Amino acid sequence: MSQINSPDDSSNNSQEKLLIDVGSTYFKLSNKTNIEQHFRDFNKSILDDLTHKCGQEIERFDKKNIHICSSANGGLSTLIIGVTHSFSLKYATNIAFNSGINIIDTILFQNIEEYSVPSDLIDVVIIVGGINSNSDNFSEDLYRYLDNLTYSNVVFVGSELDVPTIKENIENVVVLPNIIDDRLHIVEDSLKAYLTNLYQQDIEGKEDIKDLYNITDNQIFSTPYVVNKTLPFIHTKYAVVNPFVLLDIGGATTDIHYSKDLVDENIVTENEYDRLVFKKLGVYKSKQSLIFAAKNNEFVYELLMHLKVTENIFEEQSNKATKVLMQLAIFLVLCKISHYKKAYVNLKLLSVNSFVLTGGITKVLTVEEIENIISFFYKKILNSDHNPATVLDNNYDIWTLGAEVEGKELCQ
Amino acid sequence: MKVVTGVVGNDIHVVANRLIDLSLQARGYEVFNLGVNTYLEEFFDAVVETGADILLISSLNGEAEGWGREVPRLKAKYKKLDDIIMMIGGNLVVGTGNAEDIIPRYKGYGFDIVCHQVDLNTGLDSLEEMLKERNLK
Repeated sequence: MSQINSPDDSSNNSQEKLLIDVGSTYFKLSNKTNIEQHFRDFNKSILDDLTHKCGQEIERFDKKNIHICSSANGGLSTLIIGVTHSFSLKYATNIAFNSGINIIDTILFQNIEEYSVPSDLIDVVIIVGGINSNSDNFSEDLYRYLDNLTYSNVVFVGSELDVPTIKENIENVVVLPNIIDDRLHIVEDSLKAYLTNLYQQDIEGKEDIKDLYNITDNQIFSTPYVVNKTLPFIHTKYAVVNPFVLLDIGGATTDIHYSKDLVDENIVTENEYDRLVFKKLGVYKSKQSLIFAAKNNEFVYELLMHLKVTENIFEEQSNKATKVLMQLAIFLVLCKISHYKKAYVNLKLLSVNSFVLTGGITKVLTVEEIENIISFFYKKILNSDHNPATVLDNNYDIWTLGAEVEGKELCQ
Repeated sequence: MKVVTGVVGNDIHVVANRLIDLSLQARGYEVFNLGVNTYLEEFFDAVVETGADILLISSLNGEAEGWGREVPRLKAKYKKLDDIIMMIGGNLVVGTGNAEDIIPRYKGYGFDIVCHQVDLNTGLDSLEEMLKERNLK
């Protein structure tokens, strides 16, 4: 744990901010001079754990000067029903990711009868399709499917000509402006605001996170949302050259943020950086699914040989095993965003100038160990000697900067 | 009447694409121009999203030949495209070829109107004729 300011400093704390990030595995606190990180005690509530380990530090700050972000509340589960992959589903998925939503499934409406109905409760169903001059994009099949589905919220963001029929057939549907304009471009604002609010309500509804409002007067944001806000300012902290990919490999999930230049998309938005989440890809809570994914990757055994270990390392509990697991996580994530295993996006990885790594991984791996994996990936999967720069955010500067940006915006 | 248009594949002939857009608008069509470098699935998806009546694909580098072969397989996946008029124009082969061979081949791929090395206005005239034949205009 890092040093904490002496009590003599407390008189100057009226404007100083305390930033707290609650993850699924660790929590971090940052003040003007120090940053500290603690492994979570899962037998305690987050607030109890936090006050037990850092109570003194928290008490030094006024509630209005404490800013908290969290990725520990699991996020909202979302089901998107759209009429095409290239427009409605892609646009709604993009907006959902950028609103902090982690769990997204999609249904192509014309084949809706072929999809099984999820048994779990869906937090929000998004229905989208058609420009405003196109009607009858949906039929009885949609209403039949929804009748069998359990969901908390349903929102329609498709053609305005379809609104009367949708309202007539779907109870409590929220209707927002179409996310596809008349030139087939994306319109983000309304759906993004709606989903961000739902995310807030979700946080407030989860006791563990809700408790944290006892120590802050400020809104609790999702950590990926805060990180995404930082990216336009990243050059103030690091020599990062666009286009870049930021990897935040956490205990339960892995977040990717990437420059829009890395995709050939017809999505036109104000945001220069997109975000993507791989659920069940983490090195602590999601360790078993990470190992499962690794064992199903044909290059992983070669990678293990390259790292001079065998698959027995998966059973070990050691620093070496943790390092290998994190190196595997980097490799698997790169595979997922490459043409080799396309998952939602296929980034132009030969154009990447920098890889930025943040999160707990920076405390375990060195730049050399990360470069070793990235270079292995480029050689094996892309047959290339391309060598992007690797930047390690090992003092959580990206998160701190993002939280400061957010804090300033809220104060204005 | 709505038309979705664009240049198929890795073809960046933007001037031709713009001319097609302007000519269609001048003839009173509502145009949804997907621009250059457009993949086949995006064309069909745009037709679904817009409810277009006509899909006009252009190609100048000859890549259309490869994409054309994919049309029947891909179009069969869509349930709302049966009534669409499909038109393709430009330079439809790599190297040289004659229209007598090329037109039937593309019609076999599912295109209603095939314009190989035909000037733009002549091509659009044939579209008008087909619309009249089908009592759509």
